[in-house]
Amino acid sequence: MRSFAFVAAWLSLFSSSCTAEPNLTTPLPSHKILQDNFKPPQVFKNANLLRNINLEKGYVKETVNVVIENVDAQGQDTYYIPFKAEVIGHVGGLEVRDKKDAEKPALRSEVVEYNPYSPIQFYRVTLPTPLAPKAQQTLSITYYVLSALTPLPALIKQQDKQYLVYAFSAYTPSAYLTQKQKTKIKFPTVDVPDYTEEPERQGSTFTYGPYNNIPAGAEQEASVRYEFTKPLTLATLLERDMEISQWGGNLATEERYWLTNKGANLDGHFSRVTWAATQYYNPPSSALKTLTVPLKIGSVDPYFTDDIGNVSTSRYRSNFREALLELKPRYPVFGGWKYSFRIGWNGNLKNFLRKLAKGNGDVLKVPFLEGPKMGEGLSYEKVDLRVILPEGATNVMFESPVPLVSSEITSHKTFMDTLGRTTLKLTAMNMVDEARDKDLIVTYDYPFTAAYRKPITIFAGIMAVFLTAWSIGRLDVSIAKPS
Amino acid sequence: MVAAALEPFMKGDTGRNTRGLLRLIILCTIAGAAVASRLFSVIRFESIIHEFDPWFNFRATKYLVQNGFYSFWDWFDDRTWHPLGRVTGGTLYPGLMVTSGIIYHILRLLSMPVDIRNICVLLAPGFSGLTAFASYLITSEMTTSPSAGLLAAAFMGITPGYISRSVAGSYDNEAIAIFLLVFTFYLWIKAVKNGSAMWGALTALFYGYMVSAWGGYVFITNLLPLHAFVLICMGRYSPRLYVSYSTWFALGTLASMQIPFVGFLPIRSSEHMSALGVFGLVQLVAFVEFVRQQVPNKQFQTLLRGLILVIFAVSMGALVLLTVSGVIAPWSGRFYSLWDTGYAKIHIPIIASVSEHQPTAWPAFFFDLNLMIWLFPAGVYLCFQQLKDEHVFVVIYAVLASYFAGVMVRLMLTLTPVVCIAAALALSSILDTYLVANNPTPKETQPNGQATGDVVKNATDYIKDSLRSTRNPVLGIYSYISKASVVGAVTTYLLLFVLHCTWVTSNAYSSPSVVLASKLPDGSQHIIDDYREAYYWLRQNTPPKAKIMSWWDYGYQIGGMADRPTLVDNNTWNNTHIATVGKAMSSREEVSYPILRQHDVDYVLIVFGGLLGYSGDDINKFLWMVRISEGIWPEEINERNYFTARGEYRVDDEATPTMRNSLMYKMSYYNYNALFPAGQAQDRVRGSKLPAEGPQLSTMEEAFTSENWIIRIYKVKDLDNVGRDHASAVAFDKGNKKKKTAKRRGARALRVE
Repeated sequence: MRSFAFVAAWLSLFSSSCTAEPNLTTPLPSHKILQDNFKPPQVFKNANLLRNINLEKGYVKETVNVVIENVDAQGQDTYYIPFKAEVIGHVGGLEVRDKKDAEKPALRSEVVEYNPYSPIQFYRVTLPTPLAPKAQQTLSITYYVLSALTPLPALIKQQDKQYLVYAFSAYTPSAYLTQKQKTKIKFPTVDVPDYTEEPERQGSTFTYGPYNNIPAGAEQEASVRYEFTKPLTLATLLERDMEISQWGGNLATEERYWLTNKGANLDGHFSRVTWAATQYYNPPSSALKTLTVPLKIGSVDPYFTDDIGNVSTSRYRSNFREALLELKPRYPVFGGWKYSFRIGWNGNLKNFLRKLAKGNGDVLKVPFLEGPKMGEGLSYEKVDLRVILPEGATNVMFESPVPLVSSEITSHKTFMDTLGRTTLKLTAMNMVDEARDKDLIVTYDYPFTAAYRKPITIFAGIMAVFLTAWSIGRLDVSIAKPS
Repeated sequence: MVAAALEPFMKGDTGRNTRGLLRLIILCTIAGAAVASRLFSVIRFESIIHEFDPWFNFRATKYLVQNGFYSFWDWFDDRTWHPLGRVTGGTLYPGLMVTSGIIYHILRLLSMPVDIRNICVLLAPGFSGLTAFASYLITSEMTTSPSAGLLAAAFMGITPGYISRSVAGSYDNEAIAIFLLVFTFYLWIKAVKNGSAMWGALTALFYGYMVSAWGGYVFITNLLPLHAFVLICMGRYSPRLYVSYSTWFALGTLASMQIPFVGFLPIRSSEHMSALGVFGLVQLVAFVEFVRQQVPNKQFQTLLRGLILVIFAVSMGALVLLTVSGVIAPWSGRFYSLWDTGYAKIHIPIIASVSEHQPTAWPAFFFDLNLMIWLFPAGVYLCFQQLKDEHVFVVIYAVLASYFAGVMVRLMLTLTPVVCIAAALALSSILDTYLVANNPTPKETQPNGQATGDVVKNATDYIKDSLRSTRNPVLGIYSYISKASVVGAVTTYLLLFVLHCTWVTSNAYSSPSVVLASKLPDGSQHIIDDYREAYYWLRQNTPPKAKIMSWWDYGYQIGGMADRPTLVDNNTWNNTHIATVGKAMSSREEVSYPILRQHDVDYVLIVFGGLLGYSGDDINKFLWMVRISEGIWPEEINERNYFTARGEYRVDDEATPTMRNSLMYKMSYYNYNALFPAGQAQDRVRGSKLPAEGPQLSTMEEAFTSENWIIRIYKVKDLDNVGRDHASAVAFDKGNKKKKTAKRRGARALRVE
């Protein structure tokens, strides 16, 4: 796991993570490579800062609302957000917006290429316009931290409650002086047996602070331990394929999951007797029992299989209001257990594809993620998305709603292909199920000739077979001349 | 009108083409029907590999496709038969896997990347279409009637006797072997008829393919020589026979020796000696024929007699000598059980424990062949009427296959083709007789005398019109009534046959047996998927090298679905190893634990049907485990100890101590009591109430139990940290008090005795 986190950190270091990348063909923006002893210039101060830590799901969601003020003599547009080196590989979906103007697109933010052995790593936020001296701006920074929750005790009995520990700094890590700050923590329940010092408690919300004039880089270790008797579901890998059939008017989606439950492991072994006995009143459990996947309305032919065939314990409810795929793994997935499977379904391409007004281009709008939607949340370490366009599609451009690690255009050869289908392959790291609603937009050209390539090839192939058969049939191979 | 319109299509060259086209269409339809009727399980369940052996074939095919042919050929599999491993590449018949591999690669070449699993699932139905075609060909060689071949094809396509081994998903050697069997026979008959080296070579080619595909090739190896031998005995020796037999034997033997698993068997084992002997005989006869043409008749007789005696004595002596000295292997166990059905039960329990090696029950013949079982003798009789070379073949085949089918259930499969052929011959001759036979033109009733003149003529005319019986001078089989009734009856039989075949296929032969189906009260299908639940749990949540011990039935499935190393599997090549597992299962924990440790066992998997009433579970197979291990350790395991004093096999309070202390019993019923109110535990398979106190396990822990308890997996405990034995460690954990009471109880029991 450690090595994976390290690789992940490396990958994200090299990544370009602008939120709106218009075209693959434009070169990636050049990175400013920072020096080893880099320290962010003290050109800003945080006038007021409020951090919300949400622990209601199986991952940590932090929202930092900060009023920044330029204390330099010149206009400044580069704001740094520090993370610990061991954390930054698990940070996903970092998004910075102008709090005052939420409609505007998110600000450009990216991981800074930097000495990988430094204990502190940075995200760099570029303001759209430089902030004038003495001027203030309110930023809203949102991000998720994956794999930051550890169960304590690490081994529990099958029907025990599960407690998680989250360790954090009571002072919000910042590269600048913070004049005033508070940290609010939202827990799923009021059952919080252990916590650092004395916060202000209000129901299931704790507040640390206010703290005044905390210098840049100051830390105050804190941790909380709270009840979370739900599975900590993590998809170590999700492979998601979306295949477009322009002839069939079909969008086929297939997702392959490698799930694991990061919750507390079982103390001893699984007991079917206990499990069967508790199933009647369905208590909260640290085991993953079901996954519900809401699909687009009108999705048809869903399937749920794994390496050894169909999983018969699934149900699909489909009507004009909803299309809900309810999956039940073959066995309850307890902490430390794994479960890998694949699901797939078909959808009408009309709902996703539109012709461009001019030219023979098409524009495709598909959700980046359509995984299970559950109360306790689901996080993804790595998502490989493939959009398989029709054979002969050219001029592929896309706009991704989430930061990407890599993107490439390859070709995928499958049924009746001669050249292979144009495939857009996108990789993203550290995602959570809240990204479900974000759409990926792809445009491509699909010329008329490419559309007729397949029938012509098949026709030619069959003709060739007939011609060969006919000519072989006419060959005279007899040794003696027939009299 | 229609007949008139069709007239030009039915005559001359066009007529031949039309009939050819029609025949082609009919054959394609039959092949379609053959494939379609085998798809029940795919439609009802899914595209899944069935039962046990197919899982190995499937795994081997995947290995072939992933690693290429040469590494498949040299495959040493260290994930089975731990710790021995298995030289899989040299101990299997590769024909099936290579066939699917070739299909897979051809489809890939045509840019149709079909999943290898789907190819494997649908291979058997696909080949059944070809089998139907092959039986058309062979039957057409027997008779001039064009309908017989089509009937045979239709019979072959849907008869349950063949469907039983070739439904979709039943990816076993027989899937392609029956096609090869029938086609090889066709080629052989063609060769004998034409005396052509080409057909002989083709026979050898397909014989080689058959050898690579199924151990049942020995049937061909013995049937063809027998045919040749009988022909010679009947005085029908001809150069045609010489050419075809010599070509087949020489090339076929060479071809069969290319398969590593067969290797030098064709010249060293008794099963193959008849082919060699007949080959020698054919040479001799040819030589004698040659001499006869040179030498006067009188001397020839003496020469012949002397020659035959000498050669017979020499070859017999050589055979005995070689067998005794061990150069020629004696008959294998399975072969002995073909002659003596009780042989296996006494000497080789592992063969007897397989249900498909049991003798066939009488109803099975009707179940699998239906109306053909009574058409079959008629067809054989018709063969006697003509008795050309090819008919002799059918007669021999019929006799031999009938015998074998009676001895072993699985050999019903070799009987089926000849039954189809014979039944088609019989039925087509009935149909031809009644349908095709034209009304003979009634003989002109010549008036007796010329002189009678008009008066007589008028009189006959008068009588003709007045008497009903004289109005139609054509009677017997030529009348429409008899035609209609016979044809109607035959059609009804055929329809009933189709109905029966569909019913049998649907109900008896289409269950994957990996997945069990049951009906919910509302009539909807409920699938019991415990096997895959547990196998998938093993696959996902145990270390990839964890060794799983189970009874050998589940070895292939664990290898295929759970992808974990096993101790024993359905290959059963090492009886001692299986007996070791049997001993571990049937002994006390203290005896079993060292065995498990010595074999690096991490998990033990058992099948328990007590909760659901699933009768194919391990407690019901337990006696075989006991018998097989008794064969190796008679002083430690004794079958008698597992029966009560009255000779009953019980699991309840009255079960013997040996039974209740055996590992299998303990693992089956461990914790089972907890599901029921105190003292109410019930075993639904054996219909008995279990002891109030459930068994205690000290050397293992329950690791996983599937939803309906069909599969239970136990983890073998590691050695105790402080060096105690497990029993005392468990006793210590429960508190000392209990240990003392146990001691006192033991003493009291002594006093009673």
